Amino acid sequence: MERSGEHKAEPRRAMPVSLSARLRSFPLLRLTAIWEAFRVATSSLRANKLRTSLTLMGIIVGVTAVIAVVTIIKGLDKTVAQTFSSQGSTVFTVSKNPQIIKSREEFIKFNKRKDVTHEDADAIRRLCTACWRVGIAANAVETVKHADQKAENVRVRGVDPITMFDIDGVTIDAGRIWTESEGESGREICVVGTGILKNLFAEAPADRAVGQEIRIAGRPYLVIGVLEPLGSIFGFSRDNVVYIPYSTYQKSYGARRSLVVFTQVPEAEQLEVAEDQVRTVMRNRRGHSLADDDDEGFSLETQDVFLNLYGSATSNIYIVTIGVAAVSLVVGGIVVMNIMLVSVTERTKEIGIRKAIGARRKDILTQFLIEAVTVTAIGGAIGVGTGFGLAYVISALIGFPLLISVASAVLGVGVSSIVGIVSGLWPAWRAAKLDPIEALKAE
Amino acid sequence: MSSNVTLTSPVENVIQAKTEVNGHDPKSLISMRNIWKTYQMGTEKVHALHGVSFDIPRGEYIAIIGPSGSGKSTLMNLIGCLDTPSQGEYWLNGKNVSEMDDDELARIRNQEVGFVFQTFNLLARATALHNVELPLIYGGVGSAQRHDMAKKALAAVDLAERMTHRPNELSGGQRQRVAIARALVNNPSILLADEPTGALDTHTSMEIMDLFERLHSEGNTIIVVTHEHDIAARAHRVVSIRDGNIEKDERIK
Repeated sequence: MERSGEHKAEPRRAMPVSLSARLRSFPLLRLTAIWEAFRVATSSLRANKLRTSLTLMGIIVGVTAVIAVVTIIKGLDKTVAQTFSSQGSTVFTVSKNPQIIKSREEFIKFNKRKDVTHEDADAIRRLCTACWRVGIAANAVETVKHADQKAENVRVRGVDPITMFDIDGVTIDAGRIWTESEGESGREICVVGTGILKNLFAEAPADRAVGQEIRIAGRPYLVIGVLEPLGSIFGFSRDNVVYIPYSTYQKSYGARRSLVVFTQVPEAEQLEVAEDQVRTVMRNRRGHSLADDDDEGFSLETQDVFLNLYGSATSNIYIVTIGVAAVSLVVGGIVVMNIMLVSVTERTKEIGIRKAIGARRKDILTQFLIEAVTVTAIGGAIGVGTGFGLAYVISALIGFPLLISVASAVLGVGVSSIVGIVSGLWPAWRAAKLDPIEALKAE
Repeated sequence: MSSNVTLTSPVENVIQAKTEVNGHDPKSLISMRNIWKTYQMGTEKVHALHGVSFDIPRGEYIAIIGPSGSGKSTLMNLIGCLDTPSQGEYWLNGKNVSEMDDDELARIRNQEVGFVFQTFNLLARATALHNVELPLIYGGVGSAQRHDMAKKALAAVDLAERMTHRPNELSGGQRQRVAIARALVNNPSILLADEPTGALDTHTSMEIMDLFERLHSEGNTIIVVTHEHDIAARAHRVVSIRDGNIEKDERIK
């Protein structure tokens, strides 16, 4: 460098500087300037506490909204996924109607189908070699009474054989399941969920309910067992259920109702093979009844249908909700820009001084950008905290698990920093291109 | 005063070979050739400087004096590289700064010019030490060395005891000495003072002027812009500006 040589040749300077050191440190320039900018930013944020807290509020509200919404949605998703997979991905069903009917046309089409019968279940049990457990179930909704107590909207589930308890993933807490011969006898015996205990037996211990009599649709039943609780989903109890033998169910509700055949495989990997086998069996059995369309005549479904429906029904709602929350972040960004513009105007003199002693445009630009990013990143971090806090309170009130994800925390701080850059850019640019002479005249 | 100061007569610089290159005098630290500064005021063109030419050799102590509106401030802004001339050439320490862009000028101000202002222009929230470090920060000097240099500069203006004070905890004279330390810390080619005693009482003014004298005796090139004759009288050469022209240029010491 021309300059360094020139200076070394002049030993008369008042305060000698190691110019080689100065030149060596030039790559440090950006880092040094950024650190200076950070120092200036924090001290100016400290000096204007009211302004800083207003800016922070703008960002905190936005990030809190986004984080809370995202966290709650994740919790809901998790709850739903857990609920529907309690039967596991090893179970599939064969039924006349699918679990979800999307239109009137479908409803009409499915009603033309033949009922799924005991014989269908027997054929599946006999011919599906990949199937592990095969059972049948039919549901009715009834009012159940005991003495002067009653429980409404109880799911009465007629099942056969008793492996249906395993397929449903329920276990006995007190008493017993009926024996095979009892199951075929058509006797009025039942196994109840804890929801029944709560409603009919004043939350008595499970073993106290065993041996009691309850009335389902007016008929007396003997309680022989109580199930372990399954818990509730979105406030709806999954324990408000009574299991009765299918033979008994048939006596009360007639044989002409369509069944649902439940099939379970030992491992999820075998599901596809078993489904193919069952499909072949059922196609053979329905072969002659194919109507004018190409309907198979039965529905073969896993629990995924619920998850898929849930996913498609809620994804748009999620996008809209997150979008609405994100609007508040945009508002926060506008607040930051506004405050930064005020800050630039107020500190015109300071900018003039800095420029006079050698700050370049990018030094000033960096300084104000860092100031904007510092405040928004801090706001983002606080917002992530309050967002999780809000989600915690809401999840505790509704009753679903809280899923705190590092990704959404990083995203929250990251997005708010980007908001800082975007909204700080224009004020910073205005500061950077101030004329030093004019800026020095400012007060 | 710090002991690491060496004295050399400015005469040595004058003795160096005199060669004219591009019309500027290479022995001069500052060489202004036919400098014009024109402002557009509405439809009218106002000439703040009418083709000013002069040279300042290294180590000179010069006062630029003139009433307000004389073009004195415009000249100071040009010398300090805060602005560029509309016409003419300005060479500072061998560099033609008249054609430079904003960021190049910022570099020159950082490396070649030490400003001392009438109102001190210190950063209110920063300590004396940090204020003095500021030019080094923009010059990219690493923090350890920066600290060291800033401390030495403050010691040189007898403020070693006041380094952690903020401007509002210092007297006017002390503030101006912080500003002088800041101006000198980057070892600039020129010390450019704009009414340096304008905000100070007589006694403190004399102290500051004594300090300038000492800095000059240590080899610094000092340019004081003022409208006060007794301040100008402390310099060794006085350039009087009137109506955008040099009216008088006389050596008084």
